[in-house]
Amino acid sequence: MRRVVGAVPLSRRGLLRAGGLGAAAAALAGTPACSVPTGSTGRQMTLWYWTSGLSDKVVGEARRKFTAVDLRPVQIGGYFRSKLLTNMAGRAYVPDITGLKGEDMASYHANADQFMDLRALGADALADRYLPWKWRECITSQGRMIGFPIDVGPTAHYYRPDVFERAGLPTEPDDVAAQMSSWDTYFAAGRRLRKKVPGASMILGMTDVFQYAIGQSTERFVDKDKHFIGDGEHVRHAWDLAVRAKRMGITSHLRPGSPDQTAALAKGRLPSQLNPSWWSADLKLSAPGSKGKWRVARMPGGPANYGGSFLAITKYCRKPEQAFEIITWLLDADNQTRGFTDAGLFPSTPASYTHKAMRAPDPFFGGQVTVDVFGPAAEKIPVAYNSPYDVAVSQPIRDEIVNINDLGKDPDDAWRDAMSKVRRIADHLGVS
Amino acid sequence: MDTTSTAAGAPRGRRAHLPRLTRQAPTGPGAVRPDGLRRAPADHWPKYLAISPFYLLFLAFGLIPVVFSLYLAFHRWDGIGGMEYAGLSQFRYLLTDSQFWNSISVTVQIWAMATVPTLFLAMVTAVLMNSAVRFKGFYRVAYFVPSVTSIVAIAIVFGSIFSTEFGLTNAALRAVGLDTVPWLNSPWGIKTAIAALMTWQWVGYNAIIYLAGLQTIPSELYEAARVDGAGPVQSFFRITVPMMRPVILFTLVVSTVTGLQSFSESQVLLASTSNTSNAGGPDNAGQTMVLYFYQQTFDNNDFGYGAAMAWGIFLVVALFAIINWRLVQRRER
Repeated sequence: MRRVVGAVPLSRRGLLRAGGLGAAAAALAGTPACSVPTGSTGRQMTLWYWTSGLSDKVVGEARRKFTAVDLRPVQIGGYFRSKLLTNMAGRAYVPDITGLKGEDMASYHANADQFMDLRALGADALADRYLPWKWRECITSQGRMIGFPIDVGPTAHYYRPDVFERAGLPTEPDDVAAQMSSWDTYFAAGRRLRKKVPGASMILGMTDVFQYAIGQSTERFVDKDKHFIGDGEHVRHAWDLAVRAKRMGITSHLRPGSPDQTAALAKGRLPSQLNPSWWSADLKLSAPGSKGKWRVARMPGGPANYGGSFLAITKYCRKPEQAFEIITWLLDADNQTRGFTDAGLFPSTPASYTHKAMRAPDPFFGGQVTVDVFGPAAEKIPVAYNSPYDVAVSQPIRDEIVNINDLGKDPDDAWRDAMSKVRRIADHLGVS
Repeated sequence: MDTTSTAAGAPRGRRAHLPRLTRQAPTGPGAVRPDGLRRAPADHWPKYLAISPFYLLFLAFGLIPVVFSLYLAFHRWDGIGGMEYAGLSQFRYLLTDSQFWNSISVTVQIWAMATVPTLFLAMVTAVLMNSAVRFKGFYRVAYFVPSVTSIVAIAIVFGSIFSTEFGLTNAALRAVGLDTVPWLNSPWGIKTAIAALMTWQWVGYNAIIYLAGLQTIPSELYEAARVDGAGPVQSFFRITVPMMRPVILFTLVVSTVTGLQSFSESQVLLASTSNTSNAGGPDNAGQTMVLYFYQQTFDNNDFGYGAAMAWGIFLVVALFAIINWRLVQRRER
């Protein structure tokens, strides 16, 4: 008995396991995966993307079309970014072409030397075919173009006319947009909804309001010169809006992404949701029974962008001209239209918005042509500088928004707590 | 368990063979000691070869990353670009990071809330299984299944069980006329839900270990106790518990090591759909040490600080391991 319980080997094992934790951080620089050989023969060209990151059909066609190289598309599962970083840090088996997610773009900007400058390959000639703000997100402050636009995530107001009608609110998309053009009028409609339809909430939670109000502004949390601007007017405004929504009692108590939210969407207890274009796929999956009951209207307070991604050519690519030819073909207007029909990727090419395939009435939205809402929204996204430090620095602010929303914390205390935490983090990161 | 027992067995086995080996005159370049009691490692190459896979794997995936993480902890690194030497500043920041201290307290709270009921229920279950007459094998398998089930799947199911509006827990509370609890929207609710998940997952595993322990207690002891007039409760506390003490300590050690590293539970249970990082819910109530480490490293790309924090976590786990070790040592004396 005693030998089994021998403490020393056990705690040693515990120590080793704990060491494994330390290893997790370092694992990024560890040995690379060896399933994706690249560049060794000179003909192979690997393309990394994630599930539904590109239209599989278009990628398959590219394989057949570009025979000068042996295009090897690989769908990377799991946490895409950490796998890409692992191989970049190991300088081995780095893909020639890779997808980059929009939310990670700022951190890639800081390491622009890892990617080919697409302007040097002639990208400028194609600029006018893409959304200008999206194009600008590809270009670093030094003028290097490190990515090429895949899709965008323009936001809109998803709503249910059947519930709006019971609340005495407008039901047609244009009327809804006209009556709820600003946050103020949207909140007022929310109060009416709460009064007329008991149990229904206009807004899921404060986080939605805060996040989109920030997205509608032209500033984030850290500026180009690494100065902290998260205490600025734009953040204060978004914060106050979120607090007001809570105080007016028009937010729900449901957790984002919970089964409760799904049920509420299906039952009409969340008849209004502010979300990006790609959310329609989620909605169709999670509330299939509500088919035909939804519409989309223009977003209160103007459009914002949420999500979207890029294709980049890494510096390890041996045939950048070939790679450039491939990505520009993959992402031309026609193929982006197919990306929309095959994978729900909203095109960054305005020419696609008038394409027949995108103008097909959507039965889930009662036969509405949703591109009429998302298309103009995509063209009016405000341009903002995204800093690689935004996520870290804004975390306490977003945490405190949750504390007000869920725990009813006093907003002034919450703001003070957020700011004192932010200051420490900013110091630590060298943000002044 | 396997690796430690072979490692402990190897030298003993070798010593047993040595007298026979010394009879042959040592002639090779490895034979250095005139008394012949020890041979150079080179002569033992088949044995080293036989055990090398473990050491090579450990070197590549254990030791090198551990050493590298220590190196990393003295640097600033975003995961792609160059590393910048930062001296002790990451550790200094760690010591003053209130959120890290909060995450230690969260981890220990959740660990205590999970371990006490887990071990108690495991003991009860083991006693029941030990006295079960029929379907013994079935019970053992059934209780063991949770511990080999994917934690992600479990967390998704528990997310449903503890959801506020349509969750099972709140439905049960409503059925008996109690107020519902916003489980995953309140600090104690989050901790309870995570602890309940861990309890559910580990009761069976510990019960199987207890069962093995129970079966080694000679039945004569119980018979003698019965003759002396002891009831079932008395013999449980006077015989079962003292005899089982080493096993209980073993389960305590294992629970400590797994409990202090809890991560997936909060990561899946408290994930939201938005791409904001998982901060453990309101008041960071579910932000365990490893979850906070994950956020700093992989969401904020602060790899140097993440590495420093990993070493902080190491020290916390080491501290608990030492406490456990001392406890067991005392019992063995």
